[in-house]
Amino acid sequence: MATQNDPQSGGRFTGHGAEWRDAKLSPEDARIATSWVELKIDKRSMLTTKQRVEDVRDIMWQLEKDGEIVVHRVTDEHEPAIAKTLYGWEKKIPTRRLWHHKSCGQCGNIPGYPASLLWLMNRLDIEYLDETDQTSCTAWNYHGSGIGNLESLSAVFLRNFHQAYVAAKAQGLPEGYYYPLVHCGTSFGNYKEVRGYLLQSATLREKVRKILAKLGRLVDGKLLIPEEIVHYSEWLHVMRERVKTLQEIDCSHIRATVHPACHVYKMVPQDVIYDDTVLDGNRVAVTTGLMQTLGTQVIDYSTWYDCCGFGFRHIISEREFTRSFAIDRKIRVAIDEARADVMVGHDTGCITTLDKNQWIGKAAGKPVDLPVLADCQFAALVCGAHPYKIVQSHWHASSTETLMEKLGIDWQAKKAEFMAYLEEVKAGKQENLYDPRRMITSGRGFIPIASRP
Amino acid sequence: MAHATSRVQKHVGDPVSDQPAVSRPELEEIFKDIQSDLRYDHELNGCLNCGICTATCPAAHYYDFSPREIVQLLWTENLEGIYDAMQEKIWACAQCYTCAARCPFGNSPGGLVMLMRETAIKHNMESARNVLRPFSRVMLKLISTGNQLAPDMITRDHFPDWGPNVSKIDAPLKILRRAIPMPTLNTTATAWEVNLKTSVELYTIWEETGVLKQLETIDVNLFDVITDIMDEKREDWKDWLDEQEGEKDDD
Repeated sequence: MATQNDPQSGGRFTGHGAEWRDAKLSPEDARIATSWVELKIDKRSMLTTKQRVEDVRDIMWQLEKDGEIVVHRVTDEHEPAIAKTLYGWEKKIPTRRLWHHKSCGQCGNIPGYPASLLWLMNRLDIEYLDETDQTSCTAWNYHGSGIGNLESLSAVFLRNFHQAYVAAKAQGLPEGYYYPLVHCGTSFGNYKEVRGYLLQSATLREKVRKILAKLGRLVDGKLLIPEEIVHYSEWLHVMRERVKTLQEIDCSHIRATVHPACHVYKMVPQDVIYDDTVLDGNRVAVTTGLMQTLGTQVIDYSTWYDCCGFGFRHIISEREFTRSFAIDRKIRVAIDEARADVMVGHDTGCITTLDKNQWIGKAAGKPVDLPVLADCQFAALVCGAHPYKIVQSHWHASSTETLMEKLGIDWQAKKAEFMAYLEEVKAGKQENLYDPRRMITSGRGFIPIASRP
Repeated sequence: MAHATSRVQKHVGDPVSDQPAVSRPELEEIFKDIQSDLRYDHELNGCLNCGICTATCPAAHYYDFSPREIVQLLWTENLEGIYDAMQEKIWACAQCYTCAARCPFGNSPGGLVMLMRETAIKHNMESARNVLRPFSRVMLKLISTGNQLAPDMITRDHFPDWGPNVSKIDAPLKILRRAIPMPTLNTTATAWEVNLKTSVELYTIWEETGVLKQLETIDVNLFDVITDIMDEKREDWKDWLDEQEGEKDDD
């Protein structure tokens, strides 16, 4: 009698047990049979094969028409560039008159990240405002701890974007003059998600409208919703040809790997820029497009889609996970597969994780050494920015010096210049990218424009 | 002979006993809290157990955690299983949302985990208290200032595993911060200088949205410290407003 375990019985059909039989497919047939798995992993189709989602901007325009919200528009004065997103929808990227929505992780830990961005804007004569009236998006804390909720995230989003809308009044300029440019990838993903829920839920809108009213943060009694939520990497992407005009250092010999940030392209993926000229449109276009334009060799690697290991909570309290993932799934792969000279990213937590978690590899017998920079830092570096005064590479734990040597930058001389500059700073002689009087737009320390000497 | 209590027995009761550790009404209340979030129906649309989410999940590489399991527990309304997962598993998720990007059903297991974390806090679960204790520095900074992270938190003492190159230049933090060419960043206790008015506005948001209540539930000492700071800053802001009124009257 055949038993259940008898491979001849036909009694089991899972295909995973002793009854398993080799199908004896040719290598080519085997490749065809499993190619869909590869497609799911590697191709943009992982998103496009799903049912199309609605464009929440349609709801936004209807709500404005119904008199329920006001939309902060990207106007001609912001000189928008048009980019195509996942489904081919158009996204307006403002290129000038920008309000910098800073990132707490960048400013606190990788200050050369925002400084490089502002330096590029100065070189390209882009008008902007960097002010003190803004909070973190609070999403790092939320994703790490669970402290916070949809209402708090929504209220913080609306408060900060309202401030962006009114900030120019401190300079005697009209509302809506500046358009917010979000620096952090988590802020970017979180704000887009929250905007979607606000547009879809009248209940949520009503709850936060009451809070925003208490704060005096309504426009004509209505919530203010931004037409587009724009990440700085999108600005860099549409400006990449203009950035290239500033380039002083050839980097055609540099093998670059890109770490696309999860919260930039996996949250609200329908709003993410893809470009057929950038790796055939199979990867998010930002950063990769810039690196290609600057002339680096962008090398693909098998774990490009993996996260960095940041984990929000993990980088603080479960660092074994963070550093293991960062080393094993990202840094070592980029070194072994791509023989990379640098890993470039576009988000706060990723740069921190990938940069800071290499040294500990020695303790586990996994020594790794790969310079890690944000895209704007790399761009600033090859456009002639000072590696220490502007790019602030001394805050990076990874071997940025190795990269600088490959780029022909005498980092030791530059470091000596910076050490001398620190003496000037001690004496109160500090160089700034903009007039410090602009940074306070209300409250204590605000100097009305008419009173400025 | 006495035998060790398993985690399942500890948190959801002995499966062969009539005496569950957690009452049915409490399990139902917890599930109701998760399900009542307006995001729930958006994040959960169905599940065929395909496992793409788990195959691509970074936390699943290292922990006893599976986004597929989370989705299945919620989809099948397995209240005991949901409660058990809230004791540890939900805190393993790295919140990368790779699962959401990949799910053919458009589910967001990572998003569902957030609803479960919020609920774990609301119900003052021991797991939430334990897991969040090392996170209190971030919460203190964020809730009292509006900044989640500050330069004075990134030191060799706090991150010895980052090695000696956390700062490659040996100079006082204050000087290094002043050497950043963005005046808003010349700070050490916050990532950027935050306007006092901004912090005070944020306090209203925390109060109105129940965030302070969450904090009080999970860590009453931290709550006390933060509310003291809030009171001081509000007083400062009020003083400044009074000064302005005074100056107007003088004019």
